[in-house]
Parts: sequence; C-alpha cells; structure tokens
Amino acid sequence: MKKIINHPDAFVDETLEGILLAHPDKLKAVDGNLRAMARTCATKGKAGVITGGGSGHLPTFLGYVGKGMLDACAVGNVFASPSAQVMLKCIKAADQGAGVICLYGNYGGDRMNFEMASELADMEDIKVEHIVVSDDIASAPPENADGRRGVAGLFFAYKIAGAAADLMMSLSEVSEVTRRALDNIRSIGVAVSPCILPQVGFPTFSIGADELEVGMGIHGEPGIETRRMMKADEIAEMMLEKLTAEIHLDKGDRASILVNGLGATPREELYIVYRKAAKILIEKGVEIIDPEIGEFATSMEMAGVSLSLLKLNDEELLRLYKHPASTPFYVKEASR
Amino acid sequence: MIDATSVKNSISAISKAMALNIDLLTKLDSEAGDGDLGISMKQGFSAAAETLASFEEEDVGKLLMKCSAVLNETSPSTLGTILSMGIFASGKALKGKTECSAIEAADAFDLGLQAIMKRSKSKPGEKTILDALIPAQNALREAALLGLSDSELLKAAAKAASEGCEKTKSMVSIHGRAAYYASNSIGRQDGGATAGKIIFEALSKSSREAI
Repeated sequence: MKKIINHPDAFVDETLEGILLAHPDKLKAVDGNLRAMARTCATKGKAGVITGGGSGHLPTFLGYVGKGMLDACAVGNVFASPSAQVMLKCIKAADQGAGVICLYGNYGGDRMNFEMASELADMEDIKVEHIVVSDDIASAPPENADGRRGVAGLFFAYKIAGAAADLMMSLSEVSEVTRRALDNIRSIGVAVSPCILPQVGFPTFSIGADELEVGMGIHGEPGIETRRMMKADEIAEMMLEKLTAEIHLDKGDRASILVNGLGATPREELYIVYRKAAKILIEKGVEIIDPEIGEFATSMEMAGVSLSLLKLNDEELLRLYKHPASTPFYVKEASR
Repeated sequence: MIDATSVKNSISAISKAMALNIDLLTKLDSEAGDGDLGISMKQGFSAAAETLASFEEEDVGKLLMKCSAVLNETSPSTLGTILSMGIFASGKALKGKTECSAIEAADAFDLGLQAIMKRSKSKPGEKTILDALIPAQNALREAALLGLSDSELLKAAAKAASEGCEKTKSMVSIHGRAAYYASNSIGRQDGGATAGKIIFEALSKSSREAI
C-alpha cells in the first residue's frame, strides 16, 4: 500500500493544518483546536449551522464551512465521530445569539456525540436544534428511512440550510426549510474498489475484480447487492431508476443532480455517468438546475460514484439553492 | 462509601486493566468491528486517570463529569462515547456530593445506564456492553440492599458482569458495524461487553487491594 503521508497518526491533524494554511481568509481553528474549525466572519443575530463527522471524506464535512454554507465543523479521526467537547466548541463559535442547528449524517457515534454536545450547550443556555441527514436509499428500505445513512446529499442540505441562515431567517425557519429540502433529497452509490484507512494500511474489505457493489456506504458498509461490473450508462440508469422510485420526476419538474466521485474515480468517468443521467431526465422533460459533477463526499481512495437528487419544484428551495456561497471547496456565484 | 480518592483509584485501576487487555479487545473488535476498541479504551482511560490524578476536586459528581469529558475526547470509538455518556449522567446525579453510599452510587449508575440505553437506542440482549453492565448493576443493587461491604458488592457485580459477557456469545449483533455481519456473530463474545466485564473486574480487584 502506498499513501502520500508522513505518519498514519498525523494524518488528520496534518490535513487540517494544510487546509488552515491554504484558507486563512475563510477558516480558523476555534481556541487553537484544529478539530474545531469555524469560519472567520461572523454575523450577529444569524442562526448558526454547524456539522461534524469523521475524517476521510473531503470535501465533506469541513470543506463546506464558509459564507453562505456552514459556520463550523467538528472533525473526528478517520471514519470516527468527533467528540462532544469539540462539537460544543463549534456550537459556541457558531452561536451569534440566535441558536445553532447541528446538521449531520445519520451515524450512531455522531448522533450520540451531538446529543451530548447539545446537552452541554443547554447548560450554557445556547439553543440547539438537530437535523439528521439520511439520504442514502440503499442503507435501509423506505419503511425504515430513519435508519438510513447520510452521504453526498449532505451537500444539498448544507447548501439550503446555509443559504437560509445567510438570509437571516430564524432558527426555526432555517430548520423548517432544511427539513423540507431533506424530503426532496435522495442518494445512491456504487463502489468498484475499496479504501484503505491510514492507521490500518490495507483494505478492510474487498470488492471482486469484475464486481461492483450497489449501495456500498462511504465507510465500506456492505451494499444491497453485488453485481458483475456494469457499463457507465447502465450504472447511471440503475441509480436514477432507484432514486426516482422515491422522488418522482415528471415533465415540467425541476431538479438538481449531483454526480459524486468516491475518491479514485476520474472526472471523465463522472461526466460519462452524468451524460446518461442528464439525457434520461431531459427526455422526461425534467429541467436540470445547476448540476454538480465532482468530488463532494469521498471515501479515501475508494473508486465509485454516487448520484444525488434534489427536487426543486418548491420556489423557496430553488432560491436558496441559487444563493451565493463561498467555502474552501465550493463556490457559488450569484446568478445573473 | 465512595469519595474522591476512591473515584480516582477506580479510574486508575480501570486504566491499568484496559492496558493489560488491549490485545484481547483488539482481537474481538477486529472480528466484528473496525478493530479500534483496544487502543480506544486504553487511550481514553489512561488519559482520564492521568487527568483525575492531578485534578483537585472533592465533588464526586464533578470528578465523574470530568472523567466523562476526557474519555469522550480521547477515546474516539462508539464505546468511548457510550461510556462517556453513562459516566456523565452518573456524575450529574452525584454532583454536590463529596461522598456517597453504595446505594446512592448504584442509583447514579442506574441513571448512567438509562442514559446509555436512551441515547444509543439499545437494550439488553442486543450483544452490547449493556449485557455486562446491567447484570452488574442488578447485582450491585441487590448486594447494597443486603448491606454487604464495598469489596463484597463489587465482587458480586464483577461476577455478574462476567456471566453477562459470556452470554453475549449466543446473541446476534444488531448495532454498529457488527450488525452487518449479524449472522456470523453467534459464537463470538462481544467486545463491548468484554470491556464492561474488564471494568467491573478491575473495580473489584482494586477494592480488595484497598482493604
């Protein structure tokens, strides 16, 4: 195994140091703690929106801290939840008197730590709301949708919540519109090769040479089925079919679509997948709004692709999605 | 009777026991989880023991809350989080006390277990640390009501934790990564329950040595 690192134990902190050195205008370490990153500019009275999660998924989660998106992010070790103490630092940094929304993916460790952090914040009289993202349709059937994991759809959730807060909507308004957005967000992914944790040094799971895992999670959680390797068009068609079984898209509907590489998949391949997905939607008469193709939620050097949908028939969601944002890993220009 | 000294000694004893059992925990966790349990328990409890040793505080509750915070920050595994939640809730219940009776401690421990069950959405029988801690709690309360000495009641709790841990071999995992391999989980002893057993065996041993 080859990794361009110095020492496995320094992987997370050295990544964070690099990001901080590259973006001192956008990010700062709260109280000098690299694991609690906050944006440099604060607006009095703005509802705070923070997130948190394990490392190994850049640009998720930290990469979306910045104007128009997140106020702070608690960073954990690779694939491990940050501590409640670090989350509390982020909550305090993001609180501008209007309370804070903790918006994060549905993973046991993250959920428990965020709940503990909000109990600690409550002792300091900071109002905290929780919104748990569970967009991965492959991780549980619809009747158990609460048990689904959060994956690349987190990006859409950050975008909507961050824009709403930036427009000075109240904590409850931001929370309401974000939950409405989540009803319109779904994701699914396929993986073709595994990832390697720096501190382990070899893949902890395997994917057959001519196989593809449908629905594998971003930590290598087993998917819903193992299939023989498929063509890009077949993959795009299959993923879109599964997504639109839950988010119906018909003629005249509007939606954004996000094609996300898991870490080792070239942009070329992502665009080949996008090509097919876009053609299917255009043929249906669906208007595609500002599609995103690139890396948003990765899994180290895992190869594979995920597809996320955000249905945007709702005028307010559309306006918030179009709202400008500027973060280290994502910039949205104001629309003309 | 529990006071600041006994809390500090207990955490130190647990820390030593976790260090001794690091390989066992790593092995159990590698079979079902991601293999970080041993290192996570050792790191967390050794940091907690070190912090408490130099923490000048007589309030038993505050000591436990401090222990919870350090454990949470230095033991980055789900089990570290779960234990830290439990210790936090127990500490909150004992806040303001510089000493407490075995019954009070058992009540605080019970609140800790309730917090764990609520937050982790789990209950006994699901192949987790609860399968060691809940029998220990029942034994502890029973022994406390009988008025047994501290070392006798911790001995009873350790025995119950050990028996509970053994029973996890016949259980099916439904939480965490282990649940993905649920059907393979029968026959395997749960790593979390093993940590629970180690905790009570350490407490029992340390109370015998304290006499």
